[in-house]
Amino acid sequence: MKLAPLIAIEVAAFLLIIGETYFFFTFVVPLGAIPHNLGEYTGFALLKVALTVGLGALWFLVMLGMTRVYVRSKLRTLTPMPSS
Amino acid sequence: MVTGFEAALLSLAFLVPFLLLLFGFPPYLRMLTRMGRVSEDVHKSPPTKVPEPAGPILFVGAVVGELVVAVGFHSWVPVAILLGAGVAFAVGLWDDLFVLGGKAKPLLLLIAGLVFVGLIVFKPNLYSPVLSFPILGDTSPHFTIYTVLAVVAFPVVANAFNMMDAFNGEVSWFTLLTSIALLVGVTLHDIATAGFSLARVAATLPLVAVAAAFLLFNRYPAKAFDGDSGSLMFGAMFAGLAITGGVEVAAMIAIVPAILNSFYTLSSVRGFVERRRMASRPTYIGKDGLLYASAEPEAPTTIVRLVLLAGPLSEKDLVKNIIALTGVACLLSVAISVLTWVY
Repeated sequence: MKLAPLIAIEVAAFLLIIGETYFFFTFVVPLGAIPHNLGEYTGFALLKVALTVGLGALWFLVMLGMTRVYVRSKLRTLTPMPSS
Repeated sequence: MVTGFEAALLSLAFLVPFLLLLFGFPPYLRMLTRMGRVSEDVHKSPPTKVPEPAGPILFVGAVVGELVVAVGFHSWVPVAILLGAGVAFAVGLWDDLFVLGGKAKPLLLLIAGLVFVGLIVFKPNLYSPVLSFPILGDTSPHFTIYTVLAVVAFPVVANAFNMMDAFNGEVSWFTLLTSIALLVGVTLHDIATAGFSLARVAATLPLVAVAAAFLLFNRYPAKAFDGDSGSLMFGAMFAGLAITGGVEVAAMIAIVPAILNSFYTLSSVRGFVERRRMASRPTYIGKDGLLYASAEPEAPTTIVRLVLLAGPLSEKDLVKNIIALTGVACLLSVAISVLTWVY
């Protein structure tokens, strides 16, 4: 099953998209919906940005990590060939 | 329950664009050939000439199909779809004729999203700013962030479809399978939600019809290439239908192979680079006529290169592998739709 590693990457992407989107809309977006002062508002805004970037970075790193492992394992068996 | 009249309208929403393209394609392709609008199919050895762009006739098919739905169901949903798809088609046609820069295309495609969400000023129930998840249920409504993401979805999804347009039959199979998964999701949403409009289901049918008709001319060996005008339009229609149909999560899952492909390409070439200006190619044709993954370290990573790293393939077999990956994603998407709307 040559496609099995790629299907595993696809399923990981699927699980992360579902989980992260739910976390973003349920926990990050409503964070600090009714702030009491400007300082609190700024703090929540910065936290929201940090969590959003964190979610993006998590997806990026997991995908990059899985792909690198796959590419390295396959490139070991490949020898550079001149194009025709 | 669907009435006989509604069933007839649903049939027309599929059959009119499908038959129009089935009979319209041969004369249109002859016209393109007479005009000298042909491109080299670089994955053939020796390269063959294929008429391009088929985008304009695909757009005509989509317009006719959506107009049938708009008139038959008295709905604004097809109008919103056509506005977004129309802008994406225009941007793609400009790129087909004059070639746009790597950064200009996504920026111009933001207009498609802006035009689409702009219509909500006149029609507030065009979409609901809520995401529905299986088992976990709905999120609370977040109009601002949802609308911003809806605008951004147009360039992201349209470019993702565009990047899946490299081999014979690749984009047509991809669009057909993902649009069927989308149709299943919107239909289940319609059945599960009281007062949900059947027009939203009907508006999905022209995309399925256009993709099915195009597949007959784009499958290996291709008789037509859609050009950027076709692939960007497919992507914009898909994004618009996912938003109006309220099946954003399932739609995202269906296009995971395209999302991964875009992510790989953008991260490996470090930004938006027009494919004609890429320094090295991800694949090459060997003397045996098979496609090989480039072993160059600086070669862009694409989903095609990842598939070919497992071993060289003919173009036809390579596309079969891409279809298999898309099929898995579409099955996951259908499972998400079933879990969200049935259980």
